[in-house]
Amino acid sequence: MVDVYTFVSGPLAWAAFTICIGGCLYRLISLIVLAYKKERFIFTYMSFSYGLRSIVHWITPFATENWRRHPVLTVVTFAFHISLVIAPIFLLSHIVLWEEAWDLRWPALPDALADTMAVIVIAGCIFFLVRRLKLPEVQFVTTASDYVILAIVAAPFVTGFLAYHQWVAYPYMVIAHIISGEVMLVAIPFTRLSHMVFSPLTRAYMGSEFGKVRMARDW
Amino acid sequence: MKKSALFTVAVPTLLLLMIAVAGSQEEIEFVDNSDFSNAQRPPSVFRHEEHNEIAELEDCAECHHIYDDNGQKLEDESSEDQRCSECHESRSSGRKPSLTRAYHVNCKGCHLKQKKGPFLCGECHVKQ
Ligand code: HEC
Ligand code: HEC
Ligand code: HEC
Ligand code: HEC
Repeated sequence: MVDVYTFVSGPLAWAAFTICIGGCLYRLISLIVLAYKKERFIFTYMSFSYGLRSIVHWITPFATENWRRHPVLTVVTFAFHISLVIAPIFLLSHIVLWEEAWDLRWPALPDALADTMAVIVIAGCIFFLVRRLKLPEVQFVTTASDYVILAIVAAPFVTGFLAYHQWVAYPYMVIAHIISGEVMLVAIPFTRLSHMVFSPLTRAYMGSEFGKVRMARDW
Repeated sequence: MKKSALFTVAVPTLLLLMIAVAGSQEEIEFVDNSDFSNAQRPPSVFRHEEHNEIAELEDCAECHHIYDDNGQKLEDESSEDQRCSECHESRSSGRKPSLTRAYHVNCKGCHLKQKKGPFLCGECHVKQ
């Protein structure tokens, strides 16, 4: 068990972070290069203020027509994404490990709040799953990979939640948690999870095209 | 005959048990976490005497250390009359780690190095 732990928390963690950050940079640069070669007009369309205006609207709950039309989806989407990003970064357990390894430290969420956020992420995954299974218009655009991605996202939170409470198979749950987190990191650049990096760019482009070229709003 | 045999076995056993229980109450079983404002975890399991016996730690300064002003560890001197928190504060300063990091580097560091003893959060911070 010690050897498994040192491996998954050492070399494997280094590999996962390197692939995640390197992969995102690679995808980002190749996108920009491709756009420059094929659709150079995109760069003349791009506008900082129109782009930002659109992003701000879309990251504000109910600030767009689309958000207002689907109130339940909006609430779940926001609660889900905020918890998904904030909980792992400000989780005390993770900060303790950064502190141990690098003597770095930043403020942590109280454990009880982080625990609630994990439940929100898990509930969100179930909501998105049911939505994919039940709503015909969503079912229509769903492929097997969508379910795999949902599982990849849910796994670190389910295992983390169970490990924190020390309910079942404690040592194995921690190892499963570490590995599933690393799988998710590696998946970010190469699956639809890359919308984490790309959505601000596509949104900025849409905002720019609508604002600067079509003189319209895109929200 | 039977009765007295029972007596000669049971009474000393009971007495021994009582002494053992009374004695163990004096001993450390957990590392006191009251120095941490708003501690988030159950205190770490640590049966001082038993631990150092099974881990074969004879040098108290392995944990209760003293450093001189140049950061040189002083051999043959130890600080078991002081709490870790008397020197280690909530923040690291220079090469002196914060209190949390001091405990984790000291305890978990040795366990990982020796490949013996607990190294996962919940193996030390056991929930009741
Ligand atoms: C594995 C590390 C370790 C070793 C080795 C060790 N101790 Fe300790 N000891 C601790 C910790 C941790 C505490 C709790 C300190 C605190 O709360 O600040 C402690 C506390 C104590 C206390 C205070 C007890 C109390 O009731 O408050 C005494 C006395 C003590 N140790 C003596 C010794 C002696 C003597 C030795 C050598 C035979 C020794 N220790 C070896 C880790 C160790
Ligand atoms: C008398 C003050 C003092 C006490 C008491 C003390 N420390 Fe330290 N400790 C220091 C200083 C000073 C340093 C920095 C040494 C250096 O410059 O490298 C240090 C460094 C450390 C380090 C990092 C270096 C190493 O040895 O690996 C750890 C871990 C540590 N202490 C743990 C503990 C623990 C656990 C206790 C309680 C059992 C404790 N200390 C009690 C003063 C103290
Ligand atoms: C210098 C090495 C060393 C240091 C420092 C050390 N340990 Fe250990 N510890 C061991 C070893 C070795 C074992 C395993 C003994 C065995 O099972 O053979 C162990 C076992 C344990 C166990 C499981 C056995 C039991 O008593 O229940 C606990 C809990 C534990 N350590 C807690 C701590 C804590 C807390 C600290 C820091 C205050 C600490 N240890 C510091 C070497 C160390
Ligand atoms: C080898 C035993 C050991 C392991 C493993 C360990 N700790 Fe600790 N930890 C301690 C000791 C000893 C203290 C000092 C105070 C106490 O008893 O809780 C401490 C203190 C803390 C504190 C500060 C006090 C508090 O409750 O807020 C936090 C937070 C903490 N540990 C979290 C963790 C997390 C998260 C992990 C796993 C990533 C972990 N620890 C792994 C022994 C351990």
